Amino acid sequence: MTEVVDIPALRVRDLRAGYADGGDIVCGIDLDQAPETILAVIGPNGSGKSTFVKAVAGLLRPRAGSIAITGREVSALSPAGRVAMGLAYVPQEANVFRGLTIRENLKLATEFLRRRAGVGPEQEAQVLAMFPQIAGRMRQLAGNLSGGQRQMLAFACALLANPEVMLLDEPSAGLSPRFVAEIMETIMRVRAAGVTVLLVEQNVSAALRVADEAVVLVAGRIAHRAPAATMAAADLADLFFARAS
Amino acid sequence: MNVLQLLLNGIVTGLLLALPALALTLVFGVLKFPNFAVGAMLTLGAYAAWVGNTLAGLPLAAAAACAAAAVAAAAVLIDRMVFLPLRDRGPITLLVASMGVSFVLENICRFSFGNDARNFDVAVARPIRWHGLRINHEQVITAIAVVASLIVLHVVLRHTPLGRAMRAVADNAPLAAVRGIERDMIAGVTWAISGALAAIAAVLAGLDRAIDPLIGWNYQISIFAAAILGGLGSPVGAVAGALLIGVAEEVSALVIPTNYRQAISFAVILILLLFRSNGLLGQKAIRK
Repeated sequence: MTEVVDIPALRVRDLRAGYADGGDIVCGIDLDQAPETILAVIGPNGSGKSTFVKAVAGLLRPRAGSIAITGREVSALSPAGRVAMGLAYVPQEANVFRGLTIRENLKLATEFLRRRAGVGPEQEAQVLAMFPQIAGRMRQLAGNLSGGQRQMLAFACALLANPEVMLLDEPSAGLSPRFVAEIMETIMRVRAAGVTVLLVEQNVSAALRVADEAVVLVAGRIAHRAPAATMAAADLADLFFARAS
Repeated sequence: MNVLQLLLNGIVTGLLLALPALALTLVFGVLKFPNFAVGAMLTLGAYAAWVGNTLAGLPLAAAAACAAAAVAAAAVLIDRMVFLPLRDRGPITLLVASMGVSFVLENICRFSFGNDARNFDVAVARPIRWHGLRINHEQVITAIAVVASLIVLHVVLRHTPLGRAMRAVADNAPLAAVRGIERDMIAGVTWAISGALAAIAAVLAGLDRAIDPLIGWNYQISIFAAAILGGLGSPVGAVAGALLIGVAEEVSALVIPTNYRQAISFAVILILLLFRSNGLLGQKAIRK
């Protein structure tokens, strides 16, 4: 009898990463994420959340460990190579090309990915239908958009690559409460479209509202993992402040 | 000499400076370091065109095309051998490396062709007289060649995937990487375009003056002044800066001896560094 094994959308093993000559900021993270789920990565400032997500995206070369997307090893690939394997990353702030128009930003999201299945005009029409805020202003410079609109454009660009896994680094940072709610709603629509979302977020309550599961990162390690709905505020406070200190 | 004649000469000088200033600013935009070897690339282009024109007997336009291809290939090769291994070491390291490349290229030309002045094999033509202005055929060729090059470059940068990718890498290199754009490939394309622009400028410079191992060096300060004035990293700024520097250097002949006209470029660099380091059209650098 053949055993059916669910391949995780994202698998990370013993990931260690840091900057230049400094010590490890990510100190051996092991993580499996099921397909088409939202996993929130939360933790106090300096816990290594952004470093972790940059290492997964390939912007920071890991010192050790492995990363696989839907079972395919990507650790040795460049950031662009990982995009071709189905990984999309939306950075925290500098998430669009400010000196280029919205149309140029959207074109660039797919122009160098023609070999990836599902990337094409049909996908583009579907994605643009999800973001009516940007569809009508193609000639506008992306740098002239508001923070929330830039975030929407960044989401649209990432989705155009038809990703399996989408890494979001603090998408609510600097946004008004109205835009935060809109962004979180968009994240749920992204998941509903079949994309696995790893959501790094400072806004814990917003992240837990949309996530299926959450991990708490403290000092570069996963200190706690649980379904998002069961994470109690008191437990989080204990994890954030007691273990961080 | 009347002011209109000086203005005309200045515009043509500025057009000639525009191509290497663009070469400098494109490399700065994508790779974030000022390529000190831009003058030496111009020297290499002048000798490559001279070989094609006088030794191989090609018409000057064909020799210029061969020189553009040769310097483009050399620029890509230099990037792979020198700059790529040092890319993560920061802009100062790359700047110093480009100084080394400059000396090497200049001395390859010196050892290969000697210090004698050389000229292209082109017929001498009488200048055109128009409303009291004296217009050389070389000036007409320069204007046509530079404007055509600028139009082609504009089309490439604005309307092709490669041009968009170059602008994207210049705008935000890490984001370009996670959008699937391989930076090393774009760097190679940028070096090739930069080398071709320097070679075309070299042919035009060789029409105006003798070709010797210092032909590129003679333009170096003006090229940097033009690119800095326009705002390093801004292609439109580089062209505007080149025209302003060209006109300023020529018109300065009214008040200072022509031997000292490069002082204008030095003064422009000094004033900009003191009061407006991002130039006319450059974006302010943001350091985190």
